[in-house]
Amino acid sequence: MKINKMLSPRRLAAVAGILGVAFLAGCATNAPQDTWQPKGPNAEKIDNLNWLVFPIAGVVGVIVIGLILYILMRFRDRGQPIPKQTHGKPALEITLTIIPALILSVVGVFTFRAIFELAEDQDTEMIINVTGQQWWWEYDYPIQEQYGITQPIITSGQMVMPAGTKVILRETSRDVIHSFWVPALNGKKDAVPGRIHLLRMEADEPGIYAGQCAEFCGLSHANMRMEVIALSKEDFAAWVQNQLADYKAPATDTLAKQGEEVFLNQCVRCHQVNGLKRADGTPAIAAPEDNVHSGAAPNLTKFMTRNTFAGAMFDLVNNKCRADVWGASATEFGAKYLTGVTEECLNTTKLRAWLRNAPAVKPMYANPEKLEPTEGKYRGMPNLNLTEDDIDKLVAYLLTLR
Amino acid sequence: MFTGASKYFLGLAAAAAVSLVLYLLFVTPNDLGAIALGTVVLVAGTLAGITLFNRDAEAETIEDATGAALQPLPNSVWPVVCALGVALMAVGLASVAMVFLIGLGVLALGAIEWLIQDWAESASADNKFNNFIRERAISPLELPVFAAIGGGIIAFSFSRIMLAMDKSAGAILFIVISSAVLLVGFLIAFKPNFRGKIIAVVSAFAGVALIAGGVATALSGERAELAEASREDHYMHKECGEEESKYFDKVANNRVPLRSGVVATIILEDGKLSADVIGYNEPQNSVTLQRANDSSVLFRNKDAENRRLVLNYGTEVVGETGVEEKLYTCTQLTGEDQENVLVVNIKKQSSVAGPFTFTVPGVDDAIEVVVP
Repeated sequence: MKINKMLSPRRLAAVAGILGVAFLAGCATNAPQDTWQPKGPNAEKIDNLNWLVFPIAGVVGVIVIGLILYILMRFRDRGQPIPKQTHGKPALEITLTIIPALILSVVGVFTFRAIFELAEDQDTEMIINVTGQQWWWEYDYPIQEQYGITQPIITSGQMVMPAGTKVILRETSRDVIHSFWVPALNGKKDAVPGRIHLLRMEADEPGIYAGQCAEFCGLSHANMRMEVIALSKEDFAAWVQNQLADYKAPATDTLAKQGEEVFLNQCVRCHQVNGLKRADGTPAIAAPEDNVHSGAAPNLTKFMTRNTFAGAMFDLVNNKCRADVWGASATEFGAKYLTGVTEECLNTTKLRAWLRNAPAVKPMYANPEKLEPTEGKYRGMPNLNLTEDDIDKLVAYLLTLR
Repeated sequence: MFTGASKYFLGLAAAAAVSLVLYLLFVTPNDLGAIALGTVVLVAGTLAGITLFNRDAEAETIEDATGAALQPLPNSVWPVVCALGVALMAVGLASVAMVFLIGLGVLALGAIEWLIQDWAESASADNKFNNFIRERAISPLELPVFAAIGGGIIAFSFSRIMLAMDKSAGAILFIVISSAVLLVGFLIAFKPNFRGKIIAVVSAFAGVALIAGGVATALSGERAELAEASREDHYMHKECGEEESKYFDKVANNRVPLRSGVVATIILEDGKLSADVIGYNEPQNSVTLQRANDSSVLFRNKDAENRRLVLNYGTEVVGETGVEEKLYTCTQLTGEDQENVLVVNIKKQSSVAGPFTFTVPGVDDAIEVVVP
């Protein structure tokens, strides 16, 4: 094919169009998982390394690809005889070995320095245990009295931490390998069953930082999301205080009280609400190990202090309220987040759909027949066949968990 | 030409076939009996076919085939082997079952070899030729079996020696032996003059030394800490106490978490317990374990006494009796400066089913276990 034909205006326009779309996609401002927008010192270390490595790799890549294209065109087969073959050119070979070695050495020095800095754990100020399972993350806060955490706090979906604080996540998994990745705050780190992996996490300012499980972990891997909430130290103390506050039972003769009964009959088999008691006064203890294969289900204590549910797949707040929280300035963010989910802000549609038939909105198993319990246990949240009346009651009850 | 052997095997196959038919018709059959008789038919028929195909060891004439009996026969070791097998069986009957089984194996081996040799010696008047067909018949079986037996003896002897020796000395011995093997291999490869008697003498000496060492160390027993660990099974009826336990985590060493990482290391030193927890820079007096998740905890004993780590994790109601039984698990007894692992999976929150603790019997200290 002639070069003129290869470089026809139509072809050039198509290539330019593809490159243009790719370029414009990189300019998106509403990209919470953009790896080029660090919001904390750990992500900045990675970003700084990227700014060193990418130009070098880019220049080398352009040179190599350019040379290949030039050689492909310049020496393409035109029926000419095979030229004289030569072997060995020591000066050239040594040069072409030394140059890449020098480039890799420079890149290697900065890369190793960044790796060691990111692995530093001697300056830890706070610890959070992170446990992955199909397909949600559980966060538990060990007792740390300097932050007012006098009893363990357990939550899911959104991990709350103080901004400007060096937090170490102790990651593990209950089933398969997952990977915790919040690009704005740090790189990814695998959560492996039986192992504890450490990941530094620090946010410069209060705000929401979105993430995504980065290790394929099964059918709903794409729905296994997470959000890190950074609060000012004062707001974080308020959040802790609220998480540890006693359970408040709904007032008698209310829809919420009826919802509490539904919860005790259905949901408490797997979901724990700390402080919830049965009618006879005994504590209602969840037994997810007897009912789901993963052996765990999200603890719903203070459920309405979170903005997401179902493994952060769905927003618990409606679009308007979500935009209000996500768009808040660093100074206003804490107050807006700590307001929690009000009745006006509740994403009733999604929550009701979830309660109506969870597997229908979040794939739990490829084979629908396997959604039936095996060995008496379900895979993920089952369809409980709740009536619309029960769902009304449950929604009213869940709204009280704040 | 139907010679003695083929007639014999054909007759046996026919008799077994008739027996099988009669068995199936007139006796209440079971699978085992039918399989046994069918196997005899199959084996005898196959052997008859082989002997017919080979014309009874390729004897040209019936005179050749029977004339061998008139020739002086070579010496045979197999009657002695059979006698040894019978003797071992007799000793085994009076002592250890394993000796009886070994004797049975030796007797079977000797009998098979003897029969094959006898069969080959009947082939012709030429002992050299007879030996050739014996080897052709038995070598495909003999070589792998002898290699397996020899390899097994070497491996068993070597393992006995390693289990009896001190760990450091064992490592040194291993290095020395592997270096010697490498050196000998090098000499054989690069110094052809070394081949022959020298190699045979050295190999024989090494083999005898290895077997003698294996026998001696097998009799003397394993080194102290291994012997102690193996004795634990004999006390499984007892509780998690200072000495023995039925609750110790017997399969801990086979579990995945141990091979990949530990959540925390519990250290006993100067009568005090402390926890070295991954992610924490200072020793802790409490450990947080994820609920419903396998977590491995390492126990390091720096006490002069043998100790074990016990995890107490609440109570459970036994069956329908309503009786509450304490839940606990523990490591094996752990010697001074030794370590043992405990893999735990706690289903309940410590706030509702606790308190949970790590303790060491005989030590007045505890590490709190928090399960969120």
